[in-house]
Amino acid sequence: MNPNDRPTLGADGSPTGDRFETGAGLQDGFADGDHGVAGDGAAEYSTGTTTVGLVAADGVVLATDRRASLGGRFVSNKDVVKVEQVHPTAALTIAGSVGAAQAYIKQLRAESDLYRTRRDRRMSMEALSSVASGLLRGLPVSPLLGGVDPGTEGAEPHLYQLDGAGGRIEESAYAATGSGMTVATGALEREYDPDADIEAVVPTAVDAVLAASERDTASGNGVVVARVTSDGVETERRDGTGALMNGATGDIQ
Amino acid sequence: MQNSQQQAYDRGITIFSPDGRLYQVEYAREAVKRGTAAVGVRTPEGVVLAADGRLRSSLQVAESVEKIHKADEHLGIATAGHAADARQLVDLSRRRAQVERLRYGEAVDVETLTKAITDNIQEFTQTGGARPFGCALLIGGVDEDGSPRLFETDPSGTPYEWKAVAVGGNQREAQDELEANYPEVETVDDGLQLAFDALAATADGGLTPEGMSAATIPVETGSFETLERSEIADHLDENGLLDEE
Repeated sequence: MNPNDRPTLGADGSPTGDRFETGAGLQDGFADGDHGVAGDGAAEYSTGTTTVGLVAADGVVLATDRRASLGGRFVSNKDVVKVEQVHPTAALTIAGSVGAAQAYIKQLRAESDLYRTRRDRRMSMEALSSVASGLLRGLPVSPLLGGVDPGTEGAEPHLYQLDGAGGRIEESAYAATGSGMTVATGALEREYDPDADIEAVVPTAVDAVLAASERDTASGNGVVVARVTSDGVETERRDGTGALMNGATGDIQ
Repeated sequence: MQNSQQQAYDRGITIFSPDGRLYQVEYAREAVKRGTAAVGVRTPEGVVLAADGRLRSSLQVAESVEKIHKADEHLGIATAGHAADARQLVDLSRRRAQVERLRYGEAVDVETLTKAITDNIQEFTQTGGARPFGCALLIGGVDEDGSPRLFETDPSGTPYEWKAVAVGGNQREAQDELEANYPEVETVDDGLQLAFDALAATADGGLTPEGMSAATIPVETGSFETLERSEIADHLDENGLLDEE
């Protein structure tokens, strides 16, 4: 991988978001239509999705759209869950290659479970994010990791932006990844309230994903929202208007 | 024939005797007892490690007798038994502590480190052609949450946690001293005092500071600190533990 092709988080004005090369051609994934050709001739892989993470006073909200696309031109699935619980009080959004992301999440859960059984305590967010960034190295996935430490004076929420080069940046307020990240970030910039609690933050997260769904062809088909608090991870599905879907709430796992 | 078969039980390390014992492991415990004593004391304010050492000659450089080692910022290890065997485990501890920082971005817990070391020791009781470690370690430190912890590893690869413990030569005498006076220990200084008293119980006619070493890991700083030999001498002098000769 050419180091110059490493994702440049947030600084990249390109609407295609983070890019990763893979040896394979077109894969089923949250990919958009921009399949440029990398220097060595391999097809370039881009993330086609919108995922956002917001820090609230008492937890973290993660939200994603529900579309999976082939090359960003064909909607291959309209009801995908791209937020996964990886720890009793942490979850991860995925943007990028589905196969790599699924294997990555399984591995991260195994690391978290093993740590807990061996030491009889949960991983801290520092430990989880360290492992998460280490495991991510070289994978065509750009996740957001949101989680909560118990803390001595109530829950301590943490949000991290991870990248395929093994980078880890802690965000104190909000972050977005995927092809819709620029549109979503605009919405977050305007609406985010640093003092809001988790219930007040959820509408902002939904608005950001809906805004991106309006303008980014690789994002859409509704929203999945995950609330990460010291009680655990609760996930709900919403339709294309942002309304809660009947009987569709429930935890992942 | 019968006799030579029986003897084989204590030759092969991986062979149980008919009554279920691993003689080589038990012999390794004897090797620990042949060395000088090491003592660990856990106090609410931190962990204390102290050890007595033997100088073969007045010409030997006292600092070259290493019985207490820093494994990481918050971790100390006192050793008894074969020094060369112990060094291998100390280095394993140092590497393991760094691996933890790389992997999790955190300092390794004393318990986690101890179990990594004992798992390694255990492998040498079950591997053909290997010999068990002829040493016991006292691993003391302060966890990230501020708890002082003290563990012992023995040649079988079993970890034990202690409030206060002695290993090495005349271990029984030192442990008796610890058991009798532990309830009064509150501060790190109390812990040092008790550790020196326990070491004095293992030595006939008092202690000589030349061969001794001591270290503390106070909860307040979470940092391993060795005592200067002059500080050890002062402690011994104040409490009448010095060798009179």
